[in-house]
Amino acid sequence: MHARLKTIWKTRELSTLFVLALEVAFFTWYLWPEGGRSHPFFNLSNLVLILKYSALYGIAAIGAAMVIISGGVDLSPGAVMALAGVVTGHVFVVQGHPLSAGVTAGILTGLTCGIVSALLVVAVKLPPFIATLGIMGIARGIAFIITEGRFFDLSSRLPAGWKPFGLPADWLAPIVLVALAAVFQYLMQRFQWGRAIFAIGGNETAALFSGIRVGRVKASVYIVAAVLASLSGVILVAIQGQGRADLATGYELDIIASSVVGGASLTGGRGSVVGAVLGTLIFGVLRNALPQIPGATFYDRLIVGVVVVVIVVVDQFIARKGA
Amino acid sequence: MSELSFQGVTKSFGAVRALKGVTFPVEEGEAHALVGENGAGKSTLMRVLAGIVRPDGGQLVWGGRKLDLHSPRAALDQGIGMVYQEMLLFPNLTVSGNIFAGREITAGGGRLREPDMRERTVRLLEELHLAVSPDAEVATLSTAHQQLVQIARALAFECRILILDEPTTCLTEAETAHLFAILDKLRQRGVTLIYVSHKLDEVFRLCQRITVLRDGEHVGTFEAGRTTPREIVRSMVGRDIDPAARVPRTVPADAPDVLVVERLTRRPWFADVSLRVRAGEIVGLFGLVGSGRSELLETLFGLYRPDAGTLSFSGGPARFASPVEAIRAGLALVPEERHRQGLFFNLTVRHNLLLPAENASDAWRIDDRRERADAQRLVEHWRIKTAGVEAPPDSLSGGNQQKVVMAKWLQASPRLLLLDEPTKGVDVGAKWEIHDLIRRQADQGMGCLVVSSELPEILSLADRIVVLREGRVQGELAGAGADEESVMRLATAVRH
Repeated sequence: MHARLKTIWKTRELSTLFVLALEVAFFTWYLWPEGGRSHPFFNLSNLVLILKYSALYGIAAIGAAMVIISGGVDLSPGAVMALAGVVTGHVFVVQGHPLSAGVTAGILTGLTCGIVSALLVVAVKLPPFIATLGIMGIARGIAFIITEGRFFDLSSRLPAGWKPFGLPADWLAPIVLVALAAVFQYLMQRFQWGRAIFAIGGNETAALFSGIRVGRVKASVYIVAAVLASLSGVILVAIQGQGRADLATGYELDIIASSVVGGASLTGGRGSVVGAVLGTLIFGVLRNALPQIPGATFYDRLIVGVVVVVIVVVDQFIARKGA
Repeated sequence: MSELSFQGVTKSFGAVRALKGVTFPVEEGEAHALVGENGAGKSTLMRVLAGIVRPDGGQLVWGGRKLDLHSPRAALDQGIGMVYQEMLLFPNLTVSGNIFAGREITAGGGRLREPDMRERTVRLLEELHLAVSPDAEVATLSTAHQQLVQIARALAFECRILILDEPTTCLTEAETAHLFAILDKLRQRGVTLIYVSHKLDEVFRLCQRITVLRDGEHVGTFEAGRTTPREIVRSMVGRDIDPAARVPRTVPADAPDVLVVERLTRRPWFADVSLRVRAGEIVGLFGLVGSGRSELLETLFGLYRPDAGTLSFSGGPARFASPVEAIRAGLALVPEERHRQGLFFNLTVRHNLLLPAENASDAWRIDDRRERADAQRLVEHWRIKTAGVEAPPDSLSGGNQQKVVMAKWLQASPRLLLLDEPTKGVDVGAKWEIHDLIRRQADQGMGCLVVSSELPEILSLADRIVVLREGRVQGELAGAGADEESVMRLATAVRH
């Protein structure tokens, strides 16, 4: 029984889920309303709201986690989200093409960003930090050039009560997220491609000597990450109804933090897609609940920072004890 | 009969000519040893065969066909496997994941067939008598087990040529014997083995023919049955030396104690260790892997705090809370893992040599010109073979890297020198030079405490031998009267 518990705790996704449950329980208790009023935190519409916004981070975090597991880092997802969203807005609103054309253009933008990152990392051999820092600036810059400070109002062209694939718009991001997380978790755990990513993150030289096509696999990871980021950018503008160049500013660090809180190691070789997604939910709950605590308004960034550090320290402590 | 032949293979790294037109044949189904000093070009030549290094000129022909070796994958696909000297493993993957990395068993679309891989792993581990779980993460295994996993990786695939680069570095005698039995079986199945090693006794046990390289050139290929270790060593170093010969030396009877250790304990590594080192004396600390010897040195050096026991140093009680304090007091440690603990590969030879001096100096500024002169002087004094003081340490051979580490610590003229496996992975010629350097330091009154798992080294070097087993001192022997049997008996607790 004891050994069983240990395995469960060591399954990192489950311990992250446990932290998330603890967090939800804490805020439910802490924000319990007096005298039968409806709960400000634990109610369906608020939970859906958390899910909706966390899912936008979450889709990008799937890619970010894979990059981190491969031993790299991606600083560009926030900027790629913005650029993809702006391109979608431009094609759909300014050029007047159908939404499907806008979405396709947005995703192709992400694909392009990913290919450039991949080339910089794999062919030019830039450190991933530098390569993606450059892409971050370039993508964000192009977004500003396209918008010239305006924003594209998608909502005016979208039909009222717009239902993508027959679903309420709010549910789009969570459903896409769950589907993608499942697919990529499966690919990472059960496929040669995923195993190669773990191997490269664990020891790149050994991977090369083992006949793994290191360049190809690494390139694919950066491309997938950028495409996922662009997808979440496109969904973001679709559900918010606005395409703006300053969308998703600063998301990249939150996304990296989510991956780490979900068990990814920045030295590579460890982590999981589902863990990263759960990590985004941990932050989503914090960002939603903290402002509701009276007097906590100015503390939320600080608390988020403390939480990152505490979770990672506890994780390392457990890892060391376990070894 | 098809054979593998190296034909005029050349390779240069910058100004260093690593291979100068190497030509020799390897017959199919033989175990062929490749020996030579570090820097002789053995590893480079094997890396050419494994598709990692692309030669500048020449070719490799196998069975009349020119081999295309543009990548490790290409080599693997043609049935050429290699067990690397460095630990090329994935610490984050399981044993089974490591064995199949890059060549997983898959169903359609690249989906992994874990049960199949696990089953094959179990069989391989059994064959190797390796008692680890196929699901264990490799980072949690001991170094010896990790090395066996590396060998299992090479054996997992039907290769026709298997290259082994120093595969027994971390293995016990029993594990080595077992490995050799497996290699013999492979050879009988027609696999060609190329065995790179410094350990000549192993070479003679395993191989039918021995090729010697020196300075990137082929010196000769010998039939193992018609040559002697002595002849091989002579062709390796180009002169006649017997590395195992004991150099007699005497320590003055009135030499004071430099280090006195009383009942030192640090759980779980060692307990109740008492020993002393006198000025000018070389004390050998012998024990098998896991006996606590490295940890003992590191504790003396202030890296760990002892649980109990006392130290006295140069006649006064001492307690070192950190390596900085130990160094200030006059200790120096030449660590076991040159790569991890001894050298800065991002810095030049000069900075590596002078780092402790830079730290000890009160000057804020580094005087480049003076440093270059100092470094040059050290390079000459220690006979370090390097392209220059501004060369990076990884351009040096293992023996010369070790000399850099030693030179670096000895400038401060410590009173006690702790050496942990000073000649690990070092070739015969450099080994002899390093032993000579240690003796010269001792002759000047320095106390030396040498940890080594190579018995011949301890026997030829130490004035006194302290044997450690499972963290406890088993006994002391005078260096002059000791032989392999008496030391091993203490180290393994076998009663005869």
